[in-house]
Parts: sequence; structure tokens; C-alpha cells
Amino acid sequence: MGDRREALAKMFTAKGGRVNTNRGQAYYDSLMDMMNRRLLELEAMPSASRTSIKSVLEAEGLNRRDFMKWASAATAMLMLPAQFTPLVAKAAEVMNRVPIIWLELQDCAGNSEAILRSDAPTIDELILEVVSLEFNETLMAAAGHQAEEHLEEAMKTFNGKYLCVVEGSIPVGTGKEWCTIGARAETFEDHLRHVASGAAALVAVGTCATFGGVPAAAPNPTGAVGVQDVIKNKPVINIPACPANPANITGTILHFVLTGQVPELDHLGRPKFAFGYRIHDNCERRAHFDAGEFVEEWGDEGAKNNFCLYKMGCKGPMTFNNCSIVRYNEAVNWPIGAGHGCIGCSEPQFWDKYAYERPMADARIKAPTGGVEKTVDEFGLGLLTAAGIGIGIHAAISMAAGKKEGDA
Amino acid sequence: MAYKRVERMTAFMRINHWVVAICMVAAVVTGLYIGHPYYQSLIADPAVDKYVMAWNRWIHFIAAIIFDVSSIVVAYLYFFSRFEKPYKKLLPTPKNIMEFFLVFFNLITFNRTKGFDSSHGDSFNAVFFFVFHLLLAWMLFSGLQLYVHGLAHGQSSIGTWWPAMLHLATDWTVVVCGGTYMDVRIWHHMSMYFIIVWVMIHVYYQIWRTIFWQEGDIGIVIGGSKFVKEN
Repeated sequence: MGDRREALAKMFTAKGGRVNTNRGQAYYDSLMDMMNRRLLELEAMPSASRTSIKSVLEAEGLNRRDFMKWASAATAMLMLPAQFTPLVAKAAEVMNRVPIIWLELQDCAGNSEAILRSDAPTIDELILEVVSLEFNETLMAAAGHQAEEHLEEAMKTFNGKYLCVVEGSIPVGTGKEWCTIGARAETFEDHLRHVASGAAALVAVGTCATFGGVPAAAPNPTGAVGVQDVIKNKPVINIPACPANPANITGTILHFVLTGQVPELDHLGRPKFAFGYRIHDNCERRAHFDAGEFVEEWGDEGAKNNFCLYKMGCKGPMTFNNCSIVRYNEAVNWPIGAGHGCIGCSEPQFWDKYAYERPMADARIKAPTGGVEKTVDEFGLGLLTAAGIGIGIHAAISMAAGKKEGDA
Repeated sequence: MAYKRVERMTAFMRINHWVVAICMVAAVVTGLYIGHPYYQSLIADPAVDKYVMAWNRWIHFIAAIIFDVSSIVVAYLYFFSRFEKPYKKLLPTPKNIMEFFLVFFNLITFNRTKGFDSSHGDSFNAVFFFVFHLLLAWMLFSGLQLYVHGLAHGQSSIGTWWPAMLHLATDWTVVVCGGTYMDVRIWHHMSMYFIIVWVMIHVYYQIWRTIFWQEGDIGIVIGGSKFVKEN
């Protein structure tokens, strides 16, 4: 109840759902001044890692033109006017000045995989190679006491300056002792609190870290929650989705590099530049939705003709994310393009409430007393039947024993 | 036996009743389609011509907006009607509580007791309709919450104030329902069944009263009046 009250208070203080893509010349002029100053400061600082975007791009056979194409796309994604493109390019170059500590908690490492495992890395993914990753449990060579020492040293050196990226949920329930890390068997919760204490801001990457995700699905044996439920005294940026789109991770870090501030967030703490619109709003199959042309079963005539996947359980109309614009793997494809509906993976409680291959009306709900799950329609028909039987009984007794005015 | 004619619904109230009844049927038929499209539109026209889902949504929204305006008018009439002010029958005064139970006993004793004056609106009816108006208000708020998601960009044809106001007025439904948009949708859908149950009972009760009271109650909603025995 306390949580709900807090969520309610948060909603009323939120600035509303408006995505403002044109804030006027004066605003952009002052923003540009601020970014210029910030980038100059960063440039003067010693780089925290030896990798530079130039060397990484060269190694992958990408030229300056590819890089500038990416920079203009990233500028558009951040909803900045075109004159900011050189600044975005510059930010990518000085990104190795912003130290990052990346924690891996209760999850499948899917977000790291999404970034690392593509056979032709996109520039978004390469940018993440350039950032000064001071500590990453999944990737680093060090182990045990050596790794712990490394973490302490990084936290001390960059105290108050580093971004803490978190992947995975935090178990805080009775099962939290199953999840420990390091030689001192620190629980995930303590580990996160410790690292968060010196961070400038936290970036929760993926749905597990933002809303608890799959580990928090019913019956949530470990009492898994997201970062925002544990860390209350630091800015937390949520980048949900399963996995989070590397473009959105890069975009958020770029925004931090450019401004030193967190981007504008919606009421769930998600950057508005990425989560301001529904999948449905920009879906390539939207015309088929409006026309009432739906895929009725996998592989039918509708599926062959790219009809709308709403009846196969697409949750695009309820899901806020930019998949339909940015897509995945350098805009090659995305779930709906590949013929499967959206499962709402960037929404809270998606595994319980969104990820089923049925139309929305067929969501299964638990009866108030627990027990068998029913759809709303099954429950409703039961309700109507009960009302009908009640009316029938009342009518029958009225006929048999009721008193009609005027009767003797 | 002499009967006296008493007016029970003004012309406006009767028109409102039937407008609302038609809107409700339209909203149920189209709402079920929106939740789970139950008929196919495999006609040979290209997608841009048939627009089946879009028309269903359009009818649903128009029915809803007429419903909403009617609710606002009814809410006004609760307090300021020159005919009967329903709020007076809703207040939990001893007289109203007494009347409520007398009418209720009349129903569950199959009209074997009838200790109240049936020539005017009674407290039982007032409470029964108040439940309906609460359900309607809930459908209004939860429905507008689902609707405002489509205005994610914060613009609308009538300005930015409209989605901003809807967010302010309806965002609480998400928290109350359980924290996700899907919960609002489920509750919006489920509330439809509560309303249908209400309608079933309402229609049954009007017919039952007509048969057992013998005062011509069913004619109220068409002719505006019923007949009570003169003592």
C-alpha cells in the first residue's frame, strides 16, 4: 500500500506524457552552450581508458562517414535538432572520460549478450566498447579478491563521478541469500547499495533491473525488485526491454556525457526520447489493425500477407518503446517485422501480464480468492449466469407465491 | 377502484434513458470487438478502404463521449433537478434508510408486504441507480486512461490541454488497478460485466414491478407516468 501511495504521488508530480520535440531556439542555444562547456571540460580530463572511438572504428573497417551517419541518427533519436550532430560526434569521442561500473545481478546477462554477440557490431555497440568500463562482472579477466580490490579502487578514484549501470533484478525477499557475490558472500542488495553510494547516477538496463522482470514473475521466489525500489537517494534512469536496445543504452549514456544530467524521464523513469511512444503508434502493420485484418493462426494467409498480429497476442497498443522506429541489429528487423507480436517486454510485470500469445481480452486473471485462472470473459459469463439464475429463481417464486395487487 | 396518474420521468429524462441504453449496447458490441476482434473482415478491398477496427473504435468513443456528457448532466440533475433531486433520497437519513429496507423487503417477500408510498421515487431505487452511476464514472475514467495512451505525443486535434487534462484526471486508475496499463484494461473489461448484470436486474425489476404492483411502471420510461391507487 505504501508503494502504491508513493507511485500515486509520483504520477501527480510527473510532467505528463508529453514528448516535446521542439522547445524553441532560445532553449537549444543555451543547451548548446552548456554542452560545449561540458565537452571542453571532459576533453581536458585524462581519458580513463586507452581505447578511442577512432581506433575501434578503424579496427572494424568503418570510416568517418559511417561514424557521422551514426552521429546524425543518434542526434535525431535524442530528439535534438540537426545542428547538434557535431556535438554528439564529439561526445562519442570523449566518452572514454566517463567511468562506468557495470553490475551483473539476478538475470540471464541478455543485455550484455545483446551488445556483445552481434557478428557485425553496430556503432552503438562499438561506442559501448569505448566507454571506460572500470568494472564489469561478466567481462573482466580478474576474479575473486583481485576483482574486489579493483572495484574498490575504481570506486575510490572516480567517487561521485562514475555511472553505475545495473543489469538484473535485486532479490530482497526470503530468497535473497541464494544470490551472493564475491569472496565475502555479499548479497546482491548490499553489493548494489555499496556501489551505488559513490555513483553520480544509476542506469538500470533491461527489464529485470528496472521492474524486476522475469525473476519477479509470479510467484517471485526471491522477492526480486528493480533498482529504483532499492536505491532511493540517487537518480535512476530506467532502460527496460528484454534485452534493452543498445541504441537506447548508448543514447542515455551519450545524453549524460553531453549534459552531465539525466535525460527527461516519463513516470516510470524511462527516457522519453526512447519510451515516449507506443510500439503501436509507429508500427508498420498499423494499417492492418485499423482495417481489422488480423493473423488468425501462425502461418495462415494473413501471416503471409503481414497482417496485424493483435489477435496472436501483440501487446504493441499497450507498450511504450521505440522498437518500431529504431529496430534491432542496425535496424535490420524487430519482433513484429519477423512475424511475432510484441510481448510488452518494456512494461512493468510484463511476464505475468503481457507475455501471452492471446488477444488482450483473453488475459487470464486470478479470482480474488486465488485458485483457477480465468479470462475476464469466462469470469463475466459466470457472473451473468449467476445473475440470470438469481432472477429466474425470484421470478419463479414470485409466480408461485407472490402477491399480485388486486388479487384476492 | 380509482387510479391516479403520477408523472415520474420528464421528457428529457426519458430521452436520456434511451440515448444511454443505445450507447451502452453500441459500447458493449464494439468494446468486445476491440478487446478480441470476433469477426473477420476478409473482403477484397485493400486495408485502407475497410477500416473495420477503426470504425469499431470510432463508434466506441462516440458512444463513450455521449455517455460521459449524459453522466455529467445526470450528476448535475442529482442536485439541481427541478423535478426530483435524487441526492435527497441518497442521504442516509433514518427516513431514507427505513424506505430503502421497506422497498427491499417488498422485493424479497415477493410483494407480500408493501409498506411504502410507490407514487414517487424511493430510496432503494436511488441507491440502485447510484451504483450504476458509480460504474459509469469508473468506465469513464478507466476508458479515458486507455484512450490517452494513443495520444502519447501529447498532441491532439484540439490542443495539448486535452491529453494533459486526461493524464491528470485518469492516471490514478493505473495505480488503483495494480500498476500496469494491462490492469486498467482488464478492469475496464470486467466492469462491463458488472454493468450488464446491473442492466439485467434493472430490466427484470421494472417488469416485475409492473406485473406485481399493477401500477403500470413499465410505461414510465415511454410515457413518463404511472398510475397509483387512490385511497
